[in-house]
Amino acid sequence: MNENIWVLMSGDAIAIATTLILAALGALFTERSGVLNLGIEGILLTSAISSFLAADASGSVWLGLIVGSSIGALLASIHAALSVAFRANQIVAGLALVIFGTGLANFLGKPAEGKTVATVIKPLTFGPLSDIPIIGPIVFGQDIITYLAIALAIVASRYLFSTRPGLELRATGDDPATVDAQGLSVARIRIRYTMFGGALVGLGGSWLMLAQSAGWHQAATTNGLGWIALALVVFAGWRPMRIIFGAVLFGFTLQLPFTLQAEQITFIPSAFLEMLPYLATLITLIALSRPGSRNLLGAPRALGTPFVRDER
Amino acid sequence: MRVPFRVGFEQRGETPRRLSLLVPLASVFAALFFGALFLVATGHSPIDTYSNMFQDGFASFNGITDTLALSTVLICTGISAAFAFQMNLYNIGGEGQLYLGLIGGAWAGIALGDHLPTLLMVPVVLLCGALAGAAWIFVPAFVRSRLGTSEIVSTLLLTYIGASLIKHVIYTPGSFFRNPNTSFPQGRLVADSASLDSFGSSRLYPTFFLALIIAVALYWVVKRTEFGYRINVIADSPKAAHYAGINANRTTIWVMLISGALSGLAGAMLIVGPYGKIEPSIITLGYGYAGIVVAALARNNLGLIIVSGILFSGLRVGGNNLQVTTDTPIHIGVMLQGAILLFALGGEAFRRYRIHVVRVHDVSTKKVAV
Repeated sequence: MNENIWVLMSGDAIAIATTLILAALGALFTERSGVLNLGIEGILLTSAISSFLAADASGSVWLGLIVGSSIGALLASIHAALSVAFRANQIVAGLALVIFGTGLANFLGKPAEGKTVATVIKPLTFGPLSDIPIIGPIVFGQDIITYLAIALAIVASRYLFSTRPGLELRATGDDPATVDAQGLSVARIRIRYTMFGGALVGLGGSWLMLAQSAGWHQAATTNGLGWIALALVVFAGWRPMRIIFGAVLFGFTLQLPFTLQAEQITFIPSAFLEMLPYLATLITLIALSRPGSRNLLGAPRALGTPFVRDER
Repeated sequence: MRVPFRVGFEQRGETPRRLSLLVPLASVFAALFFGALFLVATGHSPIDTYSNMFQDGFASFNGITDTLALSTVLICTGISAAFAFQMNLYNIGGEGQLYLGLIGGAWAGIALGDHLPTLLMVPVVLLCGALAGAAWIFVPAFVRSRLGTSEIVSTLLLTYIGASLIKHVIYTPGSFFRNPNTSFPQGRLVADSASLDSFGSSRLYPTFFLALIIAVALYWVVKRTEFGYRINVIADSPKAAHYAGINANRTTIWVMLISGALSGLAGAMLIVGPYGKIEPSIITLGYGYAGIVVAALARNNLGLIIVSGILFSGLRVGGNNLQVTTDTPIHIGVMLQGAILLFALGGEAFRRYRIHVVRVHDVSTKKVAV
């Protein structure tokens, strides 16, 4: 029995990591283009409740996922408009999006309170493969979106580092003036990837709702996952492959309290276990910092600064 | 896709005064209009909703005193945010520092309450709350100045840890902060000497005036003292500050500690005022986050924060009463906060730049000044 619960925990950790991978990938694409979107938490929440409402009304989880992702892109477009077109302070704009998204999600979620998701995303079964002890439930017991998230991270890595559009994206985040001199539109690239990033975050939020949560719990539905995703991007050095690794690691710390509780291991106060993922993120973040380490870590050099062509 | 015009941005040398006032006002109205569209779409009457909000937030004795009472907290968290923001330090964990202020204040109120008279006790509670808030931001401040760790993420992560701490001290049986006489988990009341009386029948406490004094005093510090001068120089150009021999590391730590202390103070004001104990529901109210909005709307001007703080409190108070008077979800208040901030940020562009639309392929470029 003891072994089972740890296997189950590993499976659950990977499952939770799905939202983190998707949200962090979304943030990564956005930041690689030079836009800092701190509004991830707000996008996660709003897309989660939108997907719930859409799935509840239509009876289709897939429609829920599509609606959730679209809402994600839509909210991100607000951020894109403010930070790219209006050259607003991206930090404050992102925070405004968190506040707006939280209010909007709770407003929309009013009729959903106390309801459970009628149709959920089910894990895939791979016949005999899923019955292999230990490996079966961990590797072959996930649902399609989890596999998709991992595949996306791999594709994103190829895209960023081995294709022409990927190069253009990285250049936009590092040295927009050069991209501009090449005759490409910095603004268009930034808006495009900010919205694409928002769609990925939205997918993560919808999946969290439709595959993981039993129902709508207001802000506790995401409980800071969006912020962890942002820290994850720093942890991963803006590289997609490392996001998978980091997300699983954080997935474990998020899952640990539940497993220990189920195992009735109570010598560690539950409040401390609740703090663990945030504490782990904080410590990782500090451990990765060195004076002047931003470039060393691989942060896009123009991150957070609006591009202004010398106009006068 | 080719568009027949190009939008040009031209930096304004000096912002016309009327725009400084017009832009925030216009953004409030734009957000209200947007909110109205939303209310209509979800089957609520915007006129009823807004008139109820206005009535309950500003236009009655209870309304206006409740608004000023809440603004006490929001002005403090607002200056907390603005004080750091003005130096490009984004302390967005004011929420968590406020929780710690509640804990620090409650500790003093319970542990020292019977030993000191009210005249001394209230300042001690406030001081302990402020110190607890400052302690909560110490690690982010230290690593920000020494290692460059993003204070945005670190202060925010600490907010979640602070929320767990609040739950821990209230829900753990036998906890120092838990009321030992009730089986239902709730905070232990502080000593009488640590509680202020409200004005008459209202829920407004004298701490409101303390918040005003602090806002004005810090405004003066930033405008008139050497410390404020250093903040301004570092904010404008870290390089220039370096050449001028200003120790940016030390200023960074101090500014962040003061910012944390102000949010902690807001928590302690709740202890000497309306709460009198740790109220675990605080973690759902978001007073610390609201401070960010208040600061941004006032464009980090410590004097203007009094105005935006009161305005926002009215919005919250009116919004909270909506649930009672109508069936509109109270969250419309939070949504409007976010929307106002988003519109204000968009409006900022009109304040900073002269925006004109230039026709492409047109020799006589037509300028539409905004």
